[in-house]
Amino acid sequence: MERSIVHMDLDTFFVSCERLIDSRLNNKPVLIGGTSDRGVVASCSYEARKYGVHSAMPMRMARQLCPEAIVLRGNSGIYTKYSKLVTDVVKESVPLYEKSSIDEFYIDLTGMDKFFGCHQLASELRSKIIRETGLPISFGLSVNKTVSKIATGEAKPNNELKINFGTEKPFLAPLSVRKIPMVGEKTYNSLCDLGIKRIKTVQEMPINMMARVFGKHGASIWKKANGIDNTPVVKYHERKSISTERTFDKDTTDINKLKSIIVAMTENLIYQLRRGDKLTACVTFKIRYSDFQTYTKQKRISYSSSDHSILPVVMELYESLYQRRLLVRLIGVKFSHLVSGGHQINLFEDNDKILSLYQAMDKMRERFGDRAVIRAAGMDAKSISRWNPFNGEPPPLLPNRRR
Amino acid sequence: MKFIVSSSQLLKQLQVLGGVINSSNTLPILDNFLFELNQNELKISASDLETTMSTSIEVESDSEGSVAISARLLLDTLKTFPNQPLTFKTEENNTVEISSSHGKYDMAYFDGNEFPKAVSIATPSKTVIPGEILATAISKTIFAAGNDDLRPVMSGVFFQFSTDSLTFVATDAHKLVKYSRTDVVANDTAEFIMPKKPLNLLKGILGGNESDVTIEYNDANAKFTFDNVVLVCRLIDGKYPNYEAVIPKENPNKLTVERGIFLNSVKRVSIFSSKTTHQIRLKMAGTELNISAEDIDYSNKAEERLVCEYQGDDMQIGFNSRFLTEMLSNLNSNEVLIEMSMPNRAGILTPIDGVEEGEFITMLVMPVMLNS
Repeated sequence: MERSIVHMDLDTFFVSCERLIDSRLNNKPVLIGGTSDRGVVASCSYEARKYGVHSAMPMRMARQLCPEAIVLRGNSGIYTKYSKLVTDVVKESVPLYEKSSIDEFYIDLTGMDKFFGCHQLASELRSKIIRETGLPISFGLSVNKTVSKIATGEAKPNNELKINFGTEKPFLAPLSVRKIPMVGEKTYNSLCDLGIKRIKTVQEMPINMMARVFGKHGASIWKKANGIDNTPVVKYHERKSISTERTFDKDTTDINKLKSIIVAMTENLIYQLRRGDKLTACVTFKIRYSDFQTYTKQKRISYSSSDHSILPVVMELYESLYQRRLLVRLIGVKFSHLVSGGHQINLFEDNDKILSLYQAMDKMRERFGDRAVIRAAGMDAKSISRWNPFNGEPPPLLPNRRR
Repeated sequence: MKFIVSSSQLLKQLQVLGGVINSSNTLPILDNFLFELNQNELKISASDLETTMSTSIEVESDSEGSVAISARLLLDTLKTFPNQPLTFKTEENNTVEISSSHGKYDMAYFDGNEFPKAVSIATPSKTVIPGEILATAISKTIFAAGNDDLRPVMSGVFFQFSTDSLTFVATDAHKLVKYSRTDVVANDTAEFIMPKKPLNLLKGILGGNESDVTIEYNDANAKFTFDNVVLVCRLIDGKYPNYEAVIPKENPNKLTVERGIFLNSVKRVSIFSSKTTHQIRLKMAGTELNISAEDIDYSNKAEERLVCEYQGDDMQIGFNSRFLTEMLSNLNSNEVLIEMSMPNRAGILTPIDGVEEGEFITMLVMPVMLNS
């Protein structure tokens, strides 16, 4: 059966939120993102884009391109709040939606044509969101997620676009291959090297040729280019792993600083595990040196969510991985193989004192915030992300988003 | 070397010994049975270097010698024979010829001298235990021993002999079983950790055996002798954790429940629990025991209520249902007592009836943390 999938995307979401709070920002170039030298642009207004600024661009470069831009650090709390307002409107208006990031939704309106007319329904929803939240939003409507997402990109800013059934291929044909989701800089460059610039060329190629050049990846790019995408709209994705990482403002070899951040990151992730009633069985540590060489190492452990069994493992991985005496650019910690359940108490390694301590600490954090009680060793690390990964919401900030 | 032996009698012995042989060996000769013939007495041995077991049977012969013959070939062949006399004869070209009423079979053999010798135990201490009691002690404890290669001491059963009791302990750090007898005693105190493999072998042979088992041991090895069987094995080296210290002394909350009914409920409810954690929840209030489980990923949920006797404060405690079922099925009493103190401290399981005079069983299971 022919489906009707809507992709909705809030235009320059972070900027729009800031403008709601401070109207002086209207019609001015605004950049939001890390303000340090290492920071990247998370969101920029259309006025700033005229200067060639785009998101994920280093902040330094953006400032050079557009010196008069107003630069803001951003506040993820506010964005999460506005995102929730929009989600609430979507939730009460449609039968099935998927929140794929803080400012994007996929909505499945299949079968609604009979009653309302899908396009009309989507348009009404869009104006309702604009009316109730004051945030500009665009949408694309088509038979599947990929085409809708590309259509939204074409519709922007603050507009809508419907791709009629059967016209997907002609719609995609004149666009740049860069518009296909999952074609990043690397793939785009390889495609350009092959002389493929427009989606039309991909459409005319046999699928096998794409598969030979790009492997599995190639076959799915070909499918997307031809407007084929059967992935369903899924309301809630079970998390398979949780992770956190941190890029330093300045590359460092300060071992105490590294350790302190590792402790803080691990401690917070373990708290998130316990808060979500989860256990992990695989711990991964990641390190990136200043020359961008990245190393990871992982270790299987028995299912656990207690500090004293996971923290030493992370430290052990760090010790064995941090071998090159080079400046470190980034470190990260990841827990995977997650299952729901409580910690199985060990006769010899655990004792009720320490378990009660964890419970008490978790209670304090629940009530007074994540930083209410933390290890002194991790106190210096103030800017690591501390969001709850198990409430079905996408992560609050996506600093590496594509254009 | 030549002897005549009954095929079924030989097969019975070989099948017992076959349990010693590992499926893959670094030394090829360990894939063989060692046959040592001395007139009418044939001694057969198998070894994996850690454990060596031998039995002897009576055969018809007047020669002597020792050869090692492929265990797999021999077992596979013998299995197919109806009971009949078989003649084994060594030939010039390093082969053994077996003659049955059906025909002849030749297989290569190794020289018996190449087979590793079982260690002899210097200055052993000695204790005698009825076979049945040893078999019970093993089967009551061995299931609780761990499989963790990183902590080898916990992968065995701890034997604690003293002049007023014998105690056997096994634990994997999540559950613990302590089995003691005061009706059998040793001549002096001794402690050693037996690996699982020889114990499983002993359990298999000793079931229903009424003869006494002589245990000789020193710091490194132990030797079990009974009937025509001798088993020598290396002990696990290391210090057993101080298990007495982790058994809680004060447990004000006491739950008495019928074992069979409780076991069935736990089994049923656990079907609905998470497939990886097997976590179930026990809720005690008044005379009611509430058992529940849920698997959030699949929206499966179960809840059962049982009548029980309960003294103490209302409480909720989580357990891995697999541990509970293992322990409950290993007991044979009608009623069990579960003593608890806190949701994050051990639960202690003891049988109320069905134990012999002088027999004591204590089972301990650690809970899982519940998010209330």
